Amino acid sequence: MINRKLLWLFMLPGILLYTGLFVYPALSGLFYSFTNWDGVSPSYNFVGIDNYKDSFDSITFRKAFLNNIKFMVVVVVLQTVISLVLALVLAKNSRTHVVFRALYFFPAILSSVSVGLIWSFIYDPSIGLLNMSLQSAGLDSLMGSWTGDAKIALYAIAFVQIWAHAGQMMIIFIAGLHAIPGELMEAARIDGANRLQIFGKITWPLLAPSAAIVISYTTIQSFKAFDLIFVMTDGGPNYATEILTTYIYHLAFSNYSFGLASAGSMIFLVLLGILTFFQFRALRQEGARG
Amino acid sequence: MKNQRTRLALLLVMVLALTGVLSACGGGSDQAADGKVTISFLHWRGEDTQTFQKIIDAFEQKNPNIVVDMQTLTSDQYQTTAQAKLTDGSVGDVFASFPGAQFSALAKAGLFTDLSGESFLKNYNANLIEAGSQDGKQWAVPYQLVYNMPIYNKALFEKYGLTPPKDWEGFLKVCQTLKDNGIIPIAFAGGDIGPGQLMNTMVMNNEPSEDIFTKVEAGQAKLTDEFWVKTLAEFKELNDKGFFQPNSLGTKDPAAGALFIQGKAAMLASGSYQLSQNAKQNPELQQGLLAPITVSADQAKYEGVHTSTFMLAVNSRSKHPEEAKKFVEFLSQPDIAAQYANETGQNVTLKDIKYDSKELNIAQEWADKKTVFQPRYTIVNAENQKAVTNSIQAVLGGATPEQAAQDAQAIIDQQIGR
Repeated sequence: MINRKLLWLFMLPGILLYTGLFVYPALSGLFYSFTNWDGVSPSYNFVGIDNYKDSFDSITFRKAFLNNIKFMVVVVVLQTVISLVLALVLAKNSRTHVVFRALYFFPAILSSVSVGLIWSFIYDPSIGLLNMSLQSAGLDSLMGSWTGDAKIALYAIAFVQIWAHAGQMMIIFIAGLHAIPGELMEAARIDGANRLQIFGKITWPLLAPSAAIVISYTTIQSFKAFDLIFVMTDGGPNYATEILTTYIYHLAFSNYSFGLASAGSMIFLVLLGILTFFQFRALRQEGARG
Repeated sequence: MKNQRTRLALLLVMVLALTGVLSACGGGSDQAADGKVTISFLHWRGEDTQTFQKIIDAFEQKNPNIVVDMQTLTSDQYQTTAQAKLTDGSVGDVFASFPGAQFSALAKAGLFTDLSGESFLKNYNANLIEAGSQDGKQWAVPYQLVYNMPIYNKALFEKYGLTPPKDWEGFLKVCQTLKDNGIIPIAFAGGDIGPGQLMNTMVMNNEPSEDIFTKVEAGQAKLTDEFWVKTLAEFKELNDKGFFQPNSLGTKDPAAGALFIQGKAAMLASGSYQLSQNAKQNPELQQGLLAPITVSADQAKYEGVHTSTFMLAVNSRSKHPEEAKKFVEFLSQPDIAAQYANETGQNVTLKDIKYDSKELNIAQEWADKKTVFQPRYTIVNAENQKAVTNSIQAVLGGATPEQAAQDAQAIIDQQIGR
């Protein structure tokens, strides 16, 4: 008996932190999502599930949700492919490869606000590096309004997200590649398999656990994206880059609709929960197979 | 059973302990043992703290029993966290408020003390402090004054024989002349502040009333009405004729400013708050303010747009309202306001202020003209405000004025329905 009580004591710091910083805010968010609290007034009224209804009906919410999905799909697909290619190219432990790996990893250690500001300047249509370079290369026709054109702004930011995190994912793939026994490759080569066959039959199946980690991490990370968009476009132009997190932020802090914003957060929480659940299931299956 | 109860008790203790820790973080102004009263002054002008500290020192010398404790937040933080701090009354005996959404939220929460009868109000230009009144009472006193009108480069205008135009035809002609001479007519930060700034002068004469957007928010007028569709069409006209720099929607404030400061653009669609910043970066710059008049000269009711902000107020939860009022009164003295204005490069809403700098006097010239309070700030709901500015971005991105107005109105209709 005494042992069990002692065990509780050791869990205390963790429980305290988790309750105070996660459980309590989440529960109070749930509570306020049923009210029309404005974040200021001492009083509020209960409005039932109106906030949830309003959210699903809201034009902005729908736009934000759609943008969220677009952003996520683009980032997940491209980031996974790019980091995999980088990993395959840089897997060997030669000195140049290590240098390149460090270089590609470098953006991951920058704060995303700095990344956003740097790329805002690169993307600027009149004085930005990108358009200036295109112009001096004679490629005037390719010059664009990268974050200003509603059709491409979201993808321009997705590119920055990939730029910042592909190196990080590359490291996971490289670790996975190093875990593949060399004998397998050698045996395949002796049997006359070409590179594509080796990749398809050996490398990729054995890399599946790493791929699952990369994909699940990227999915959640890109779904939660906030800082880059907040810094670079703040949801604009004309809602083209508004995603759920910026939508919630704007509701709460520019519009003082805390109740509605809380409902948005709860929907967001559920969506993330569903995503995570499927990720975990996929991971476990991969783990069982691998 | 007993074990379970102990566990429950333990959990309860933990939660209580945590609450204790959190609530201990509060605290603040109170009467000290030596009989001195400490009041807290909460605002967002971090760049003005040095000047304010000097003013506070002078105030404390005159009122030895009052100590003023100044706290600043960044303006973003101020929008997000000030209200919570003010609500518990521990900070911000005297505080500043933004006009528009924040003002009405704080007023609704009853955080303002009525200042209507105070004698210091007579020091102010009555037309310029209306933003702080509601239901016939003066809840807050706007201190800073900004003109939200395009800045123009006087030297460039002179070079091509241009003067600030009096009507829309004239404005288009000015832009065309500039463009023909290889100058960008208007540097426009379409990616962030541009639409929100330029819309004010663009709309002021298309619907010459002070409460058009109040009506829109109440459902009594619509963005699909002529005034806004016309405004959007005129934005589109400027864009289609190439009077903004290329790809203006991707341009942000600093980049647009750079185009103007370097003399590549003749007008900058921002406001008077940018004047001294521009002058600092290019002392040669000859600047003035002008407003595009979107109608014929005889139909123009307003000459420009002003915003009075940094609205000083006394917290209704304050334990020391008298001392707090004294401090606001001190700030409202013309000599103190002049000191603030000249040291910080901000125009103020008080009457008869003597400004030292060229830039402040440029704005001062507008004090006697017919200006309207910034229309965008009369949109109280921030989602509506965004729908309005986004409709400008939509037309610049290729949508028709009618379509853009309709899309924005759909969002506003939802807000009204709530």
